[in-house]
Amino acid sequence: MELGKIFNSSLIYATFRSATPIIYAALCAAITQQADILNIGTEGIMLIGAFMAVAVSYLTGSWLLGVLVAMVSGLVIAMVMAVGNIKFKSDICAIGMGINMFALAITKFLLNAWLGQSGTFMSPDIKSIPKVHIPGLSSIPIIGNIFNDWYITEWFVIVLIVVLWFVFYKTVWGLRLRAVGRMPMAAQTAGINVNAMKYQAIAISGLVGGLAGAHLSLGYSTMFVENMTSSRGFMGVAAMYFGGAHPVFTAIGCLVFGFTDSIGARLQAYGVPSQLVLMMPYVVTIAVLAISMATKMSAEKKRKSSLVSH
Amino acid sequence: MNKKKKIDFKSVANVLLPLVLALLVGTVIILCMGENPITAYIALIEGAFKGKLKLGTTLASFTPLLLTTTAFIIAAKAGAFNVGVEGEVFLGGIVAAYIGINWTFLPKPLLLIACFVGAILVAALWAFIPAALRVYYNVSEVCSTILMNSVALYITNYLVSGPMSAGAANAQSDPVTVTLPQIMKPSSLNIGIFIAIIVTLLTIYILNKTSLGMKIRMVGTNPANAEFAGINPKHTFIKAMMISGAIGGIAGAIEILGVHGYFLNNFATGLGTNGMLAALIVKNNIVTAPAIAFFIAVLKSGAMGMQQATSVPKSLVDTITAVFIIFACMELIGNIRKSKKKSDEKKA
Repeated sequence: MELGKIFNSSLIYATFRSATPIIYAALCAAITQQADILNIGTEGIMLIGAFMAVAVSYLTGSWLLGVLVAMVSGLVIAMVMAVGNIKFKSDICAIGMGINMFALAITKFLLNAWLGQSGTFMSPDIKSIPKVHIPGLSSIPIIGNIFNDWYITEWFVIVLIVVLWFVFYKTVWGLRLRAVGRMPMAAQTAGINVNAMKYQAIAISGLVGGLAGAHLSLGYSTMFVENMTSSRGFMGVAAMYFGGAHPVFTAIGCLVFGFTDSIGARLQAYGVPSQLVLMMPYVVTIAVLAISMATKMSAEKKRKSSLVSH
Repeated sequence: MNKKKKIDFKSVANVLLPLVLALLVGTVIILCMGENPITAYIALIEGAFKGKLKLGTTLASFTPLLLTTTAFIIAAKAGAFNVGVEGEVFLGGIVAAYIGINWTFLPKPLLLIACFVGAILVAALWAFIPAALRVYYNVSEVCSTILMNSVALYITNYLVSGPMSAGAANAQSDPVTVTLPQIMKPSSLNIGIFIAIIVTLLTIYILNKTSLGMKIRMVGTNPANAEFAGINPKHTFIKAMMISGAIGGIAGAIEILGVHGYFLNNFATGLGTNGMLAALIVKNNIVTAPAIAFFIAVLKSGAMGMQQATSVPKSLVDTITAVFIIFACMELIGNIRKSKKKSDEKKA
C-alpha cells in the first residue's frame, strides 16, 4: 500500500466533492435549527429534489429548469412540514420521518408510473449541471488540478455558506431568527412574529434542501437511483449538530465526512472489503458527533461553574 | 365516564380521518393513472386475505411488525425516538443465524434458546450505544440511531457476503440447524407469531403494572419531575432503550429461524420503519398500535396482489401509508374543534 497514492493533491478535490451534497443538506438543517426546529425531513426534501431535478432535466433538456423545479418542490414539501408542525402541532421528529417515508415512496412511485423505470434511471438526455472551466488555471500545476472544472453548484455552496453566515449573524432578520430559536416567548414579547419567522426559516430550508438534491442527481452524479440520498440528509443533520448550526463550522464538519468517504474509496483498491469502506463515513459521523457534543457539554459546565465562583 | 368516552372518540377520529384522507389521495392518483380505484382496492384486500397462502403471508409479515411497533413504543414512553429498531432487527438476525449454524454442540431446544438469548443481548447492547450517547453527551438519538442503522446493515452485509457466506450467488448464509415450526403451510407463518403476541402483552404489563413501567412513563413525561421523585432518568432511559433493542433482536431471530431458515441479506429492510409508522399513527398508544401494525401488514402484502391485478405499482401503497402518517401526526380534530370554539366565542 503506497501512502502517496492515497494522500495526494487530488484528495483535496475528492474530499470537497463528496462533502458538497452533505454541506447543502447540513445548511438546510442549520437554517431551521437557528429557529430551534430539528429538520429531520432534510433527507426527504433532498430526495424529492433529486428526483424532480432529474425528471425535469430529462424532459426539458434544461439543467437550470431542473434545479429550479427541484428547489420549488423542496419548498412545497417543507411547507407541508411547516404547516403540520406549526399549525397542527405535530411532533417535528414524527412529521419529519413521515416526510422522509413519503419522499422515498413517491419518488419510487413516480419513477415507475411517470418515467416507466425502476431502480435506477440513467439517460443521455439528462443534462447535468455544467462545470466551470477556467482556461488559464489548467497550466498551473497543483492549483489547476484542485480548482479547475468544478460544477457551478460546487462553487455556489461556498457562496451559500458565506451568505448564510452573513444573514444569521449580521442582519436583523438573522438576529430575529436566532431570538426565536433561543427563547420564543421573549422574541414574541419583543414584537417578533414567531410563527412567521418559523415559516420563513422552513421555507428557505426547503429551497436549500431541493438544491441539495439537484446537486446530488445533476452534479455529483447524472442519474436518479431509488433512495439515492442514502442517509446524506441525516449526515447533514449530524454535521449541523457538530457545528452548532453555524454555517462555517457545519461545513467543516461535512468536510470530515467527505474526507473519510474519499479515503475509503481509495482504500477499496487495496482489497479492503467494500462494506467496511461504505460503513466508515457513518461510524466517523457518530464518533465525531459524540466527541463534539461531549466537548460542548464540558465547556458549558465550565462556563456555568465560573459564573458561580465569581 | 362520559369524559373518557369523549377522549376515545377523539383519538379514534384522529386515526380514521387521516386514513380517509390518505385513501382519497390514493384514489385520486389511481384515477389519474386511468385505473378503477375500487378494483385496485379490492385486489389489494384479496391479495392480503384470499386463500391460506395469502392469509398466512399477511400474518407472517404482521409478526415482526408487531414486535418493531412494540419496540418503538417502549422507547418512546421514556421519551426516546428510537429509529434504530431496524438495525437491531438486522443484528438480532445475524446473531441468531450465527449461533444457529455454529453452536451445534448444544441440544436442539437449548440451541433455540441460545439463538434468542444471543440475539437479545447483542441487539440490547447495540441500543445501549445511542442511549448512553443521548443521556451522557446529549447526542440526538434520532440522528445516531439512523446512522447506526446503516452501520448495522453494512456489518451484516459484510458478514453474509464474506465470513458467513454460503457461497451462493445471492448473499446468504448456510441454513440454520434449528428452526421455529411453521404452522400454516405453504406460507411462512410460524410459531413466532405467538412469541410476538406474548412479548407484546408482557410489554403492556411491564409498562402499566410494574414499577419499571411507571418509572419509564414518568421519565418520558417529565424527566425533571422524575428525578425529583428519586428516579434516575438516565438509567431509566437507557433501560427503556435496551428493552426496545431486545424486542428488535427477538424480531430478527424470529425472521431468521422461522421465516427464512438462513440469514438473507437485507431481510429486514423497512421492518423498523413500518413499526415506527404504526406507533406514530396512534401516537404511541400500545393497546391500539397492534391493530395499526396489522393494517400495515395487510397493505404491504396486499400491494403485490394489486400490482399483479392492475397496472398500479405497489409503491403507491407506500405512498398512501406515508400520507396516512403525515396526516395522523397532525392533531386535525383537536385543531378544528378549537378553531370552532374560537369562532363561537367570537360570535358571542
